[in-house]
Amino acid sequence: MPLPTWRPAFLNWMGLALLIVALAGCGRDNVKVYRLANDDAPSSSTPPDATTAATDQNENSPAPPQLQWTLPADWTEVAPAEMSIASFKVSGQNGAAAEVTLVPLPGLAGGDNANVNRWRGQVGLPAATPEEFQKMGEAVQAGDQPATLYDMAGQDSGNAKRILGVIQQRNGTTWFFKMVGDAGLVEQQKPEFTAFLKSLTFTADATPAALPPGHPPIGGGDANAPMMATDAASAGKPAWTVPADWQEVPASQFLLAEYSIADANGAKAEVNVAELSGNGGGVLPNVNRWRGQIGLEPVDETGLAKVTTTMDITGGQATLVDLTGTDANGQSTRLIAAIVPMGNQTWFYKLMGDKKIVDREKDAFTKFVQTARYANAP
Amino acid sequence: MLLERLIKFFTSLRLTVVLLVLSLVLVFIGTLGEVHLGLYKAQTEFFRSFFIYWHPSNAAWKIPVFPGGYLLGAALLLNLVSAHISRFKFSRDKIGLWIIHAGLILLILGQLATDMLAVESQMHLRQGQMKNYSESDRLDELAITDITDKKLETVVAIPQRLLAGKGDLRNDPLPFVVRVKEFYANSQLSTNAAPGLARVNADSGFGASLWWKPLPRETAMDRRDMPSALVEIVTPQGSLGTWLVSDWLEQPQTFIAGSHTFQMQLRSERFYLPFSLRLLQFHHDVYEGTDIPKNFSSQLLLNRPDTGERRNVLIYMNNPLRYDGRTFYQASFDTDNAGTILQVVKNPGWLTPYLACVLIATGMVVQFLSHLIPFLRRRRS
Repeated sequence: MPLPTWRPAFLNWMGLALLIVALAGCGRDNVKVYRLANDDAPSSSTPPDATTAATDQNENSPAPPQLQWTLPADWTEVAPAEMSIASFKVSGQNGAAAEVTLVPLPGLAGGDNANVNRWRGQVGLPAATPEEFQKMGEAVQAGDQPATLYDMAGQDSGNAKRILGVIQQRNGTTWFFKMVGDAGLVEQQKPEFTAFLKSLTFTADATPAALPPGHPPIGGGDANAPMMATDAASAGKPAWTVPADWQEVPASQFLLAEYSIADANGAKAEVNVAELSGNGGGVLPNVNRWRGQIGLEPVDETGLAKVTTTMDITGGQATLVDLTGTDANGQSTRLIAAIVPMGNQTWFYKLMGDKKIVDREKDAFTKFVQTARYANAP
Repeated sequence: MLLERLIKFFTSLRLTVVLLVLSLVLVFIGTLGEVHLGLYKAQTEFFRSFFIYWHPSNAAWKIPVFPGGYLLGAALLLNLVSAHISRFKFSRDKIGLWIIHAGLILLILGQLATDMLAVESQMHLRQGQMKNYSESDRLDELAITDITDKKLETVVAIPQRLLAGKGDLRNDPLPFVVRVKEFYANSQLSTNAAPGLARVNADSGFGASLWWKPLPRETAMDRRDMPSALVEIVTPQGSLGTWLVSDWLEQPQTFIAGSHTFQMQLRSERFYLPFSLRLLQFHHDVYEGTDIPKNFSSQLLLNRPDTGERRNVLIYMNNPLRYDGRTFYQASFDTDNAGTILQVVKNPGWLTPYLACVLIATGMVVQFLSHLIPFLRRRRS
């Protein structure tokens, strides 16, 4: 039976459609390779790269601690400004306007004094001396905890401008609550602003809820997954004595503890402690990683012996590494690290920063490592 | 002779009826199967398969007992197409039937396209949080990130399906082989020994001090598998060590290969978007005086750097955001009402069922009219 001419063509199209669908479906199991431009890196700009597929913005803006508030009558919530988790607009008479922002930053975020001086600069005021600074703060309440309010009025491009800046340290995060705008309006809104701060509720991270009645179902939710016996990644801190001039700062990921050391000229060094199972990757790879951080070429096993010494500690021996190089800005940088194997774990202590400070703190650092007492020590 | 019999078999209307009845039965038993297997597994076993198998418990063998969705769909398509080729002739009074059948073919092909191409994922946002990717709610990936250059990190993401096959995995940017020694699609981890748990045979990273065991796959819709795997990193110079990677371990693990530093983490599979969404506010309204939900809505800020587009969007029940080939539905929320979960569906074939229904309806109207009009004419004359 001869087929009409359109029929083979019809079959061809059908076959092609099936083939395209089948082939497109096959690509799902492929390995994906992509590049993430990380704006959080120490240096300012991201190199342009045609292969950059995605910017991992989430990495740079982790879920901040959550806030709830009672909004004053004249305020309107607007799209959050950069770094702010919420922003509000306040409109007054004759086009006067002010803006309120809520910014959480990890750690001390530069300290109160530096931030207040930054704000003072924004309203054309000179930096405050430490004595002046001591007298400036007003006690207010943000949520259920005390905070400090700094009230600064000045000029910006010929217009009267006022900033109400409130700083609060809370669980390793520094919160900046700021109202900035037309001087008259900001002054008038001050009671509303303080009442708003008082109304803040900081809520803990929550877990996904069960679906409400009538809601379309979804597939996941870690909250209901089987529970792990105990937190796998946690390990106890050794007991140690911290030198008086070291300031503890919130430890970042992977670190057990982090300390900051600064001198009057603004030079800085940091001490951090990490704990890893097993040998933590081994001495050589870690030494070479540190060498890379201060611009030194990697060494081999022979070279390793030249840059390491051993030091007695309670319950064993530590490998001490002393390296001098330069940081990304070409500043002279020294790195002293101690690697302490103990049982089936390894502790890594690192003092790194401005060479002068590290020179000065070397003894304090080795003493600190020697004071550590480990739960699993023999 | 054989060819003729084959043509007769595939073009028979009886086959159509049998296939349609079998399809009805399949939908019925597939729906019942969801009770024990859960939606996802029931879909896979009953509808995304050529046969439904039966096996006695603990047996290694299985026998096909019923045709699966793929087989019935393919047979229906073949039946329809071959019937057309051998039986139907293109004529004016059959034009309605042609349109109906074109609609049916489009419907079947469209569903196949959906099955092959659609990707469903989720985006969980806390208030103020911004993301430019959604995550799979079912499958994981092993992400190995070269963090040597902090400003431009290279990520190699190996999907769970490849890990499940175990063996050696090579990929160009990686200067080493990832040797998957063990893979559990669902697992339990513990820091302490307990009956049924085995020591994790890792010598590097967090896993060296842990115990683990495989668990049966999760079937409930509101729970998910927690996969774990044992992977060895092998460079041309030798092995760097064996690590446990697991969905339970929230932190990535670091290792050094050559002059590069890598981080490795088993995490939910990610699908990156060319834009970001930030949750401005989540609202959970209830009927006054009750706890009965009335509405859930997410106020979001959409930001697309390459076009400069920056606008607020509102997603609520039955009002999803359709953007860039994806649909964002309001799916769930956090108990403290400060976070939202959006279901993200990318389905290139989403229009086909609508088009197919329009074609079928048009075909029915045309066919009806093509009989009605001559009938009326005859009656009048």
